[in-house]
Amino acid sequence: MRAEARFFKSLADETRLKILWLLSGAEELCVCDVIELLGITQSKASRHLRYLYHLGWVTDRRDGLWMIYRLAVPAGSPREKLLKLLEEMLAPLPEARALRDNLERCLEAKRHSQCIKAEQRRKEDSAVAS
Amino acid sequence: MKKEAQLFKSLADETRLRIIWLLMAKDELCVCDIMGVLGITQSKASRHLRYLYHLGWVTDRRAGVWMNYRLSVAPGSPEDKQLKLLADILKSRPEAQELREHLEQWLATKGQEKEGAAACQCR
Repeated sequence: MRAEARFFKSLADETRLKILWLLSGAEELCVCDVIELLGITQSKASRHLRYLYHLGWVTDRRDGLWMIYRLAVPAGSPREKLLKLLEEMLAPLPEARALRDNLERCLEAKRHSQCIKAEQRRKEDSAVAS
Repeated sequence: MKKEAQLFKSLADETRLRIIWLLMAKDELCVCDIMGVLGITQSKASRHLRYLYHLGWVTDRRAGVWMNYRLSVAPGSPEDKQLKLLADILKSRPEAQELREHLEQWLATKGQEKEGAAACQCR
């Protein structure tokens, strides 16, 4: 029953809960989105996302400097049921709703290409650094 | 969202999962039953049961020197839904079935020995 304990452990951390909550509100998210929305460091965001990746909750795709993550939960799986339960638990919480509102704003801003500018800035910075 | 993470943390430990799984099968179990069936020490059994008690998963009742525990989750609560999901996941696991059989054997023969948890006359 170790695997099952590990399964529940994926949700036993506040940051991971928040990351899953954000991912279930978007098609996919860049590590940079998670950093900005949760106000955490890149190392913390990446660590938790890799944890979720290794337990099969998310898939990844590289896009330039950043990794992009999306939820990977097969329909009808225990994982999907757990995620639904989590959403049900979090939906009435003001804190969770505020996160989703911020997510909407971030995604909207992205559509207006602010992230592209940020990406360009980072590329310029790294070009200068090297 | 700390509270929600804590709820999931209750189930993030193998021993606690097993204890909950055993409690789901019976109205009430003595600490000695948990010790006997899982083959763990009293200190470990009690520690996890107190953890579950403080998070509101179980209630306790003293019977002589032993404590008895029972699940106390409100129907329809997030905890109740978590337990149903857990039961759903575990019911097909041979290991979980064996544990339930082991529990039945234990309850049938307990009190017949002179030493240790098996000698407990709590019921």
